[in-house]
Amino acid sequence: MSSSHIPNLLTSRRGPRLRGRGGGRGQGRGHDHVGASASSRRDQTIQATDTDAAVSRLSAVALGYLDDPYAQYFVHGAGTRRLPIINRGTYARTTAIDALVEAFLSLPESSSRKKQIISLGAGTDTRYFRLRAQNRHHNLIYHEFDYPSVCAAKYRIVEADIPALDGESLVLESGEAVLGNGEPQWSLLSSVNVEPDLRYICHPLDLRRLPSLESTTSIRGLQTDIPTLIISECCLCYLDVTDATAVIKWFVEKIAEVGIVLYEPVGPDDAFGQMMTDNLAARGITMPTVQRYKSITLQKERLAELGFREEEGGGGNDAVSVEHIWQTWVTDEERARVDSLEGLDEIEEWQMLARHYAVSWGWTGRWDDWMKPLVRIK
Amino acid sequence: MSDLDRAIAQLRSCRPIPEAQVRELCHKARELLIEEGNVVTVTAPVTICGDIHGQFHDLMELFRVGGDVPDTNYLFMGDFVDRGFYSLESFLLLLCLKVRYPDRMTLIRGNHESRQITTVYGFYDECLRKYGSANVWRYCCEVFDYLALGAIVLGASNTLEPSPEALAHSQSLGPTQGLTESDIEIEVLNADGVYINSFARKTQPSSAESSPAQSRTGAPGSGASGWSTGTPGNTSGAVLCVHGGLSPLIDTVDKIRILDRKQEVPHEGAMCDLLWSDPDEIDGWGLSPRGAGFLFGADIVRVFNHANDLSLIARAHQLVMEGFKEMFDSTIVTVWSAPNYCYRCGNVAAILELGEDGSGDGVIARSNGDVTRSDGGVMREKERLLLPGPARRYRVFQAAPQDSRGMPAKKPVIEYFL
Ligand SMILES: C[S@@+](CC[C@H](N)C(=O)[O-])C[C@H]1O[C@@H](n2cnc3c(N)ncnc32)[C@H](O)[C@@H]1O
Repeated sequence: MSSSHIPNLLTSRRGPRLRGRGGGRGQGRGHDHVGASASSRRDQTIQATDTDAAVSRLSAVALGYLDDPYAQYFVHGAGTRRLPIINRGTYARTTAIDALVEAFLSLPESSSRKKQIISLGAGTDTRYFRLRAQNRHHNLIYHEFDYPSVCAAKYRIVEADIPALDGESLVLESGEAVLGNGEPQWSLLSSVNVEPDLRYICHPLDLRRLPSLESTTSIRGLQTDIPTLIISECCLCYLDVTDATAVIKWFVEKIAEVGIVLYEPVGPDDAFGQMMTDNLAARGITMPTVQRYKSITLQKERLAELGFREEEGGGGNDAVSVEHIWQTWVTDEERARVDSLEGLDEIEEWQMLARHYAVSWGWTGRWDDWMKPLVRIK
Repeated sequence: MSDLDRAIAQLRSCRPIPEAQVRELCHKARELLIEEGNVVTVTAPVTICGDIHGQFHDLMELFRVGGDVPDTNYLFMGDFVDRGFYSLESFLLLLCLKVRYPDRMTLIRGNHESRQITTVYGFYDECLRKYGSANVWRYCCEVFDYLALGAIVLGASNTLEPSPEALAHSQSLGPTQGLTESDIEIEVLNADGVYINSFARKTQPSSAESSPAQSRTGAPGSGASGWSTGTPGNTSGAVLCVHGGLSPLIDTVDKIRILDRKQEVPHEGAMCDLLWSDPDEIDGWGLSPRGAGFLFGADIVRVFNHANDLSLIARAHQLVMEGFKEMFDSTIVTVWSAPNYCYRCGNVAAILELGEDGSGDGVIARSNGDVTRSDGGVMREKERLLLPGPARRYRVFQAAPQDSRGMPAKKPVIEYFL
């Protein structure tokens, strides 16, 4: 029923404290943080939402909805069984974003140019490791951003539990130079070639600081001249509207060819939405963007305003509800398989819940092919 | 004070009773329920309630709004447990009341009153948490197997004494549209009994029989209570109450009566359908997205009601944001009694009051579906239109206020996708 008493490793496994200059923003966690200001308490609450996501993911994996051998490492203990509607939602959301990522990776590239994925507020997301297991990580550089404490804990788990591939090394770098905040960042490098090849990098950064960074060179490994996909899976919704906008703008203005996938709630004004807002507020969680981009239409307008719209050089946007994804992106056979896992009695509740979450996506380049694999099922 | 009354008092304050007492209670309840048929006959007046789902404090609110037991007769259409945080207290309280006032409480089985479903949706875990073992869950499941599958309400009046507000409202419509009490078919009141809305009975043009039947009752406002006891009201057709809906395997109420119900809810078949099916805007039968039971359309309901002398089917099972929803020309209604379902959905809840027919011959006048009909001739066709539905008073209520809920110190976490 409640996941709050199931700590995930980010909160329970302290491990040796990483060295750094200290005093970084959003570092404190736990209620022992004396004098924690209201805003840092709020940050902690937001970081803890990742526990929720991790527990939900493991529940869906344990019951056979999703195949993800990495999910178990990010939850302390055996986890909690979620309700069928939650499992189905986790399935639909993960499957939808996986499909968009896969379509992005399949975009035709004339040269052997690399592609780049930037996952904002990645938390304990396992997507990179899943791509790696499917051999989809070549010619790809994968960035993750999250609060320093979240990144540090993720490092400890990856170091302890997830074996490196042959010729791949896990590197933890601490230093003043990095991001200018002294927080240690970490990466996976392939040293098969003479020139070490950066494959994955986790940036410990409060995203609200990003817009103040002048140059892309402060973000190690960030390339501005390759096709790039930004993912915000329930992350930017926690930022103020202006901060969220500024973060997206920062990337859009610097990277030539960019796409974005957003997953966040919509529909805050009906009875269900109001209750959702109230219930989350009782947990200290607010989602400012939901109050602004209230509907699927407004989510699309948001993307258009950010530059993801049809222009000479290509571009466009679209958005659908999670209910739509379940109904039309998932094949009949797959739906039957998933349905048979638990049975789902709460049809009306599922529909209501699933109509209150949307996946929106947009692109600036000639990515018309991006949607092709999805058109079939859309 | 008897042990039973003490248990009721304890449960009313939302405290579980000891395991040994649960065992005894369940034993007594089974002895009582085993005597009931698959379809219990209930005489109006009665207040019909839908899903409760362990929302104990909202159940208390329901009793506040609908009147306390034994002053009000209740018929609960199942789904007492799962999802909410107090399935145990809610179900045991209802069961205590059933044992204490057997004639005033009717409990029928919902699809959640099942071993399999309760292990997924919370009741099993709750019992483990509250008693440290699954014994109490097991006792309760044994009771589930004995719950009736449906009920037939007889003797419900088809007239309704309107609240003063309803009359005032109707008078403002002018003389031609003005209501008299006998014209009011549906009245909707809020939790404090304040008038929200009412609907006049649609007059049926060719109703030779219904004109005298719907003739005058006593002067408005002459009765002190809400129901016009003593007025020459008329009996409507019987009302079938069932948790989910109809089954393609069941064309008469008698066929429900001959099922072997004393078992876990099967995955398919008539018993399963009665607990799982839903009405839908389709023709005939359809596949249910729930993976059990069927969808059924208006034509199915019409034929079934006609064949069984029913004027209405009352069922629960589906969340409706407004608390109740009449469908198919008011031949079927969904009643939902769990406000803000799962502490998440933001919906209101409702209960349905059926008044007592004042004429006193209602029960005799109406068959309850036992009679086999052989003709399908013209007269039947005509009469099909004529069976008047009972007058219905819905009381709509919201979730119990937070402070009276006595939520556990550690606030429950409502799940969303984060
Ligand atoms: C609900 S979790 C989602 C995690 C992951 N994307 C997933 O879907 O499984 C939200 C994540 O966003 C991160 N986050 C929220 N605000 C952030 C900010 N200002 N800077 C960096 N990360 C942030 C939180 O720390 C948390 O890990």
